[in-house]
Amino acid sequence: MSVPNSDPAHTHGPITRVGEIPGHDDHDHDIGHPSGDHGHGGIAKYLAVFAALCVLTTMSFLTYSPAWPWRNEPHVGWAFMMAVSCTKAMLVVLFFMHVLWEANWKYVLTIPAAMMALFLGIMLIPDIGLRTRMVAQERALHMARPSDVRLMEQAGEAKLLADPAGQQNHN
Amino acid sequence: MNASAATISHGHGHDHDSGHGHDGHHGPVLQYQPGLPLSRGKLIMWLFLSTEIMFFAALLGSYVVLRFGAPVWPKPHHVHLSEPIGAFNTFVLICSSVTIVLALEAARANRTGLAKFWMVLTLALGTLFLGVKGYEYQAKFSHGIYPWSPRSRVFEKPDLYYGSAVRARLGEPAIMDRLKELDDAAENTLSPEEVSGRRRLKQIGQMVSSPDQQPFDLAVVADQVMPLPVDASADHSGNSGHGSHGLNDTFPWLKLPAVIPGGNMWASTYFLLTGFHAIHVLVGLIVFAILLLYRLGPKRAGMIENAGLYWHFVDLVWIFLFPLLYLF
Repeated sequence: MSVPNSDPAHTHGPITRVGEIPGHDDHDHDIGHPSGDHGHGGIAKYLAVFAALCVLTTMSFLTYSPAWPWRNEPHVGWAFMMAVSCTKAMLVVLFFMHVLWEANWKYVLTIPAAMMALFLGIMLIPDIGLRTRMVAQERALHMARPSDVRLMEQAGEAKLLADPAGQQNHN
Repeated sequence: MNASAATISHGHGHDHDSGHGHDGHHGPVLQYQPGLPLSRGKLIMWLFLSTEIMFFAALLGSYVVLRFGAPVWPKPHHVHLSEPIGAFNTFVLICSSVTIVLALEAARANRTGLAKFWMVLTLALGTLFLGVKGYEYQAKFSHGIYPWSPRSRVFEKPDLYYGSAVRARLGEPAIMDRLKELDDAAENTLSPEEVSGRRRLKQIGQMVSSPDQQPFDLAVVADQVMPLPVDASADHSGNSGHGSHGLNDTFPWLKLPAVIPGGNMWASTYFLLTGFHAIHVLVGLIVFAILLLYRLGPKRAGMIENAGLYWHFVDLVWIFLFPLLYLF
C-alpha cells in the first residue's frame, strides 16, 4: 500500500536518518552531505575512544602487577580481564561501528545473534567441557594430569644433571 | 529500483490513484519504502557479521569449554607465548580501526587524498599484524609446536612413549652424525653452554635407553630437553620466552620431542582460533587493496563503511582472543 505524498519528509515512516535511503546515496552525498555527521562521529570522539581502548588494554596487565591483590585467585583476574574486554568491545561496536547512532534495526540483528552465540557456548559444556570427568581407562593413562606437571616441576627443581656452569645457564 | 517501481504504478494505478488530485500534475508516483532504514550493502554486511558473530562464538566457546574442562592446560610461557607481543598486536589492530574510521570520515568530507592516506595506513597496520603473527607462529614451530601430528613434537606427559620417542630421535642417522661431530669437537671450540649441553645430552641418552628407567627419570629428560618455567609470574616481569635454556635451544638441529602437559589441545585451539582470525585479517587487507584502486570520495563512503564494519569486527574478535589466549 503506497500513498503518494508530495512532501518527501513524511514518506518514509520508519526512517529516522535521512542519508541512508537506498538509491539516494549518490545524491545525498553529493550535496555536501549536510546530514553526514548526524551530530555524531567527529575525529575528537574517535581519538577519545582510541585513548580509552589503549588504557583498557594496559589495564588487562594490572592482574600481573605486584599490586594486584588477588594473585592466588585467578578467577578474579579472569573476570576482570573479561570485563575489560567487554568494555573494549562495547566501545568499538558503539562508536567505531556507529551502532550508537543507528536506528532500532540494530537490535533485530545483534540480539538474536548474541543469544545464539551464548546458547552455542552453553551447549558445548556437557559434551566437551565435562568430557574428562568420565573417561576410559586407556585415555586416562595417556592424558596429561596435574601430577605430570608436578613431576616436571620437581625434575626442574632437582637439577640432577646440572653442573655449576649448567646451573648458571639454567637460571 | 525507483524507476521501475514508478512505471509499474503508472501501469495499474491510474484508475484509483488519480483520486488524489492534489498532485496529479506529475502523475502518481510510487514511493520506495525500504523495510529497514539502511542501504542494501550495509544490511548485507550486518547480516554477514551476525553470522560471523556465531562463527567466532562457536570457536571461542569451544576454546573456553575445552580449556576449563581440561585437567591440565599449559601456562602461556609453557607454550612460548609472549604477552608483550600479543599486546602490541592488540595495539596495532586498535590503531587500524581508528585509521579506517578516519578514512571513512575523510571520504565523506570529499578529502580523497586524506582518505587514501588513512586507507594505506590501515593496510600497512593490518600487514604488520600479520607479520607479527607470522613471527609468533615461527616461534611455536621452532619449538616443535604444530597443530598437526606428524610434525608436532609435543608430548602430553613424560611416559614410556615419550622416552622411546627421544631414543628414536637420538638414533636417527643424521642426528647420530651430528652427535659424533659434537663429541669430537675440541672443548675450546664450544661455548660453555654447549660443553654442558654435550655432557647432559649424553646423560639423557643413557637415561632413555636404561632398562630400569623411572617416570621421574623421564621427567628429568623432558626438563633437560625443554624446561617448563616453574613460576610463570616470575617470568612475566623479566625476559620472557628465552629465559630458560633446554637442549633444544642450545642445539637447534637436535629437535628432540618435548613434554608440554596439555600442549596438544592447546596447539589445536590456538592455531585454529588465531588462524581463522588471520584469514579474516587477510580478507580485510584484500578488500582494502581493492578499495585503494578507487577514488575514495563520498560516492565510495558506503563501500568504505562496509569494509570498516568488517574490519572493526575482526578487531573485536582479537579483543577477546588476546586475553583468552595470552593472559588466562
